[in-house]
Amino acid sequence: MLLILAACMVQQFLPAIGGLFGARILILPLVFLCCSVCVSFSSMLVLAFICGFLWDAQHTLGAQGGDPNIYTDPVESLRFGYSIILYAMMGLLMQFIQPLFRKAKWHISSILAGIAIFSYLFTEYLLLNFVRGDFTFPPRVLYRIYLTSALTMLFSPLIFWIIHHLASSCRHNIRYEGLRQKHRYID
Amino acid sequence: MKPQNLIALLLFIVGAVWALTRSERSVRNIQSTYYRAISPFLKGGAAIETKASEFIQEVEHSKALEMKYKLAKEELDQKRMEVAHLRKLEAENTHLNQALKFQENIPFHVLAAKIIRRQPSTWWHTVTIDRGDKHGVGVQLPVLSPEGLVGKIDAPSKDTSTVILLTDEKCQVSAKVEGTPEAGIISGLRDTAEESPSLLLRFLSKDANLKPGMLVFTTGRGGLFPPDILLGTIKTFAPGPLYGEALVEPAVDFTTLQTVFVKIPKPLSSAREIGAATANSTKK
Repeated sequence: MLLILAACMVQQFLPAIGGLFGARILILPLVFLCCSVCVSFSSMLVLAFICGFLWDAQHTLGAQGGDPNIYTDPVESLRFGYSIILYAMMGLLMQFIQPLFRKAKWHISSILAGIAIFSYLFTEYLLLNFVRGDFTFPPRVLYRIYLTSALTMLFSPLIFWIIHHLASSCRHNIRYEGLRQKHRYID
Repeated sequence: MKPQNLIALLLFIVGAVWALTRSERSVRNIQSTYYRAISPFLKGGAAIETKASEFIQEVEHSKALEMKYKLAKEELDQKRMEVAHLRKLEAENTHLNQALKFQENIPFHVLAAKIIRRQPSTWWHTVTIDRGDKHGVGVQLPVLSPEGLVGKIDAPSKDTSTVILLTDEKCQVSAKVEGTPEAGIISGLRDTAEESPSLLLRFLSKDANLKPGMLVFTTGRGGLFPPDILLGTIKTFAPGPLYGEALVEPAVDFTTLQTVFVKIPKPLSSAREIGAATANSTKK
C-alpha cells in the first residue's frame, strides 16, 4: 500500500517524452501489476480499486460547460471509475502467471507487465474512440502505446526487487497458497 | 472459487459500480481532495524539474565551452557563466515585460500563473498551473497568453489548477474567421502531435471562401470565452457534404509556454482577500 502511494507521488514527476511520441513511464500501473502477481486474488482486487480510483481522480476531465445551444455537439470523456475495471482486468492477467513467478521466473512477469500495460492503453484508446465516435488509429498512437509499454516494462525488475526487499524486511512470504493448489493454475 | 475471493469480487463490483455512478459534483470533490493532498508534491516536483533542466542546460553549455575554450582560465569561465546567467535574466525580464504589458492592455481582469507541469496524462492535452481556487480561479475560466487563447480551467484545487488546452479534442470554442461571415466550433484533434498541433474548425459553410493565413478569433458566444481572442490561422479548408471544415494552426506555441493568464471575474488584489479566500476554502 505504501508502495502504491509512493508510486502515485513519483508518477507526478514523470513527464511525457516528446521525442518518443509522448510516451511516458506509467509507474503506478507498473507497481500495481508487480504487486498483483505477488498477492492473493482478493488483495489484488483491493489494490485494483485503490489504484483505479487514484488514477481516475487525477485524470478524469470535467464536463464540457458553456451554452448548449452553441456547443450542440459536446465531446464525451471516459467516466470516473472506468480505470478500476481496467486495473482489475490487468491484475487478473498477472494472477494467471503466479505459478511461474513463484518459480522465480520473474522475467516472464516483467514481459507480461509490458503486455498488460499495452493492453490497458490500447483498451483505453478504444474506449475513447467508442465514446467519442469517429474511429481513428494513426501510427503515432500505436508508437506511443508501444513505447510507453516498453519503457514501463524496463522498470519492472526494479519494482520486483523493491517488492522482494520490502517483503523480506517485513518478514512476509510472497510465495503463498499457489504452492498448495498447483492444479488450479497453468504451470 | 474460495468464499473469501467471491466476497472480495462482490465487494469489488459494488465498489466499482459506486465509483462509476458518482455525479459530476462528487467527482469534482474527489479530485479536489486528491489534488489538495498531492499539491505539495506537485510544487516540489516542479521546482526539481526546473532545477534539473537548468542543470542539464548548464552541463550542455559547459561542454560546448570546454571544447572551444579548453585552455581558458577558470576565472574567464566564471565570467562567461555570469554573462550567460545575466542573459537568461534579461530574456526572463523581456518575457515578464511582455506579460505585464499584456496584463495592462486587456479589458478584463486576469491572473498570471506559471505552468508547473505539462501533459500529466496519456491522452488529454492538459497542463497544471500554480494558481487555484484560493487565488480566485474557478472551473471553466478562460486561460490566455499574449499570443492568444490557451484553453480553459478544468479542475481547480486549492493551490493548483488543471488547464485543458485548446489542442485537446474536448476543449471546444465558438470561433469566427476574420473578414468573412463564417463561424463554427473549433477544437483540437484526437491524435495531434504535441510539437506541431492542429485545430479543427467545423460547421462552416460548405462553400466558404477561406484562404490559408486568414485569422480565426473567438466569437464570445457560448458563455465560456471572451470575444476577439486570437485562436490561430487557417491552414487548409475542405468542403464537406453538409459543412466545411478547416485546419487551423494555433496562435500559441504550447511547447514553449511558461506563463499564462486566467481571466477571473474579480481580482483578489490584496493579501487580506487572498487570506480570506484561503480561510473560506479551508472551511469548505
